[in-house]
Amino acid sequence: MAAQPSTSRSSRNLRVLGVAAWGLLGLSLIFIFFVAREADDYPGGGPLQRIFYFHVPSAWVAYLAFAVVFISSIAYLRTAERRWDLLAHGSAEIGVLFTSLVLITGPIWARPAWGTWWQWDARLTSTLILWLTYLGYLFLRSLTRDPARSGRLAAVVGIVGFLDVPIVHFSVRWWRTLHPSGPTPADPTNSSGLGAGELLAFFTALIAFTLLFAWFLAMRVRIGRLADEVDRLEIDAGRASRVLTTEATEVPVAGT
Amino acid sequence: MGEPGFVAKTLLLTRKDLRIEMRARDTLVPMLAFTFAVTLLLAFTLPTTGDNERAIAGASATTVADVLAGFFWITILFAGLVGFARTFETEQAEGAIDSLLLVPLDRSGLFLAKALANLTFIVIVEAFLLPLFVLLFTLDAGPGLVPLVLVILLVDVGFVAVGTLFASVAAQTSSRELILPVLALPALIPVFIAGVDLTSDLIAGGSFGTLVEAGWFGVLIAFDVILGITAALVFEFVLE
Repeated sequence: MAAQPSTSRSSRNLRVLGVAAWGLLGLSLIFIFFVAREADDYPGGGPLQRIFYFHVPSAWVAYLAFAVVFISSIAYLRTAERRWDLLAHGSAEIGVLFTSLVLITGPIWARPAWGTWWQWDARLTSTLILWLTYLGYLFLRSLTRDPARSGRLAAVVGIVGFLDVPIVHFSVRWWRTLHPSGPTPADPTNSSGLGAGELLAFFTALIAFTLLFAWFLAMRVRIGRLADEVDRLEIDAGRASRVLTTEATEVPVAGT
Repeated sequence: MGEPGFVAKTLLLTRKDLRIEMRARDTLVPMLAFTFAVTLLLAFTLPTTGDNERAIAGASATTVADVLAGFFWITILFAGLVGFARTFETEQAEGAIDSLLLVPLDRSGLFLAKALANLTFIVIVEAFLLPLFVLLFTLDAGPGLVPLVLVILLVDVGFVAVGTLFASVAAQTSSRELILPVLALPALIPVFIAGVDLTSDLIAGGSFGTLVEAGWFGVLIAFDVILGITAALVFEFVLE
């Protein structure tokens, strides 16, 4: 959010955030593969269980990203400030990316664990619909050139799409759920039998993914600002060259 | 006192849209033609029973109910999107959108007027489709008919709210026919899951009591209320 293109201070902050995110991600890999070994000897443990450390933090980041889209969309409609629109757009892109990761890692785990790639379960279905909704959101943004109009229309879809999510969730809850529930940021005590090493790995990965989201988002907003700047310069340059050509043609007219 | 109120103005705008449709017939007729063609195509996909009735050969009553409920709502969903895509067509083609925006009425009233016109269209399509299902698939709602009408109307409210909002969003872009289903279909999934489940229950012999007990009923009402209010509130940002 704090990415002014010209200030070196915000670009240093951005670098610090990036180093922290990637560093913590590296640390979490060490924890995941060398510390969290409690379940290695159980059926379903070992490499298969390790998908969990990528799957759940991705899901958390996806929900966080779409919540940011929702809040930024409301803020944009209220203030019409460009920065909220950039924030919503960037966050939606990152949300779709992480939702894709959730939808890829989930079936890889489910095939050996459940014996099936896909289940029409509440959580799976609502995640899939979430993904479709925000793909539509990004598609809509690509259709309109005028940034103000594109921002307004996208904000409307961002708000309605997010409000739809809880309804989708409830509407599919009656289909019996297979999806395991474990520790979440909202309920870390629901450990579902995770050992100390596993909890360490999980929460490190969770924080690393969250920092990565913040870094991506800050980068994306910064790129958006720079793109705006380029557009502005191009318009100025176009105007200047038009002024020059009109002057050039006007000179002989004035001379006669 | 001479100034008409919110409701009167809203209904006036709806009447305007319906009168245009009665004279031009360029929305409802395509919707009905589409509905008829899709229903025929669906009928051809089903294996016939020996006495040449278009039911599903060898299937139990609940399976038949499930399939017919799904057919009914998918047909309505696509027919609705075909019609809703034209929500602001006339105004934009004839440049009348500015005059419409000058009407001294809150934007939510304009949304309501457009939504009521779309609701009228979709109810007419359903009034055509339901007898067609009786005819082609020997559908027999029996005592479930009154609750079935209630379910249909509840689905319609949510469908029309989301459909009208996204149709007006789509009308502002360069490819409205393309973007409307892309935006509306994911958002409409809950209301249609609920609609299909309740409809199938009722066709299979359920009554009003089973309807209220089913959790779907709550989903339907929650969807209508939450998305109806949200759509009316955010609509003012779509047209500017």
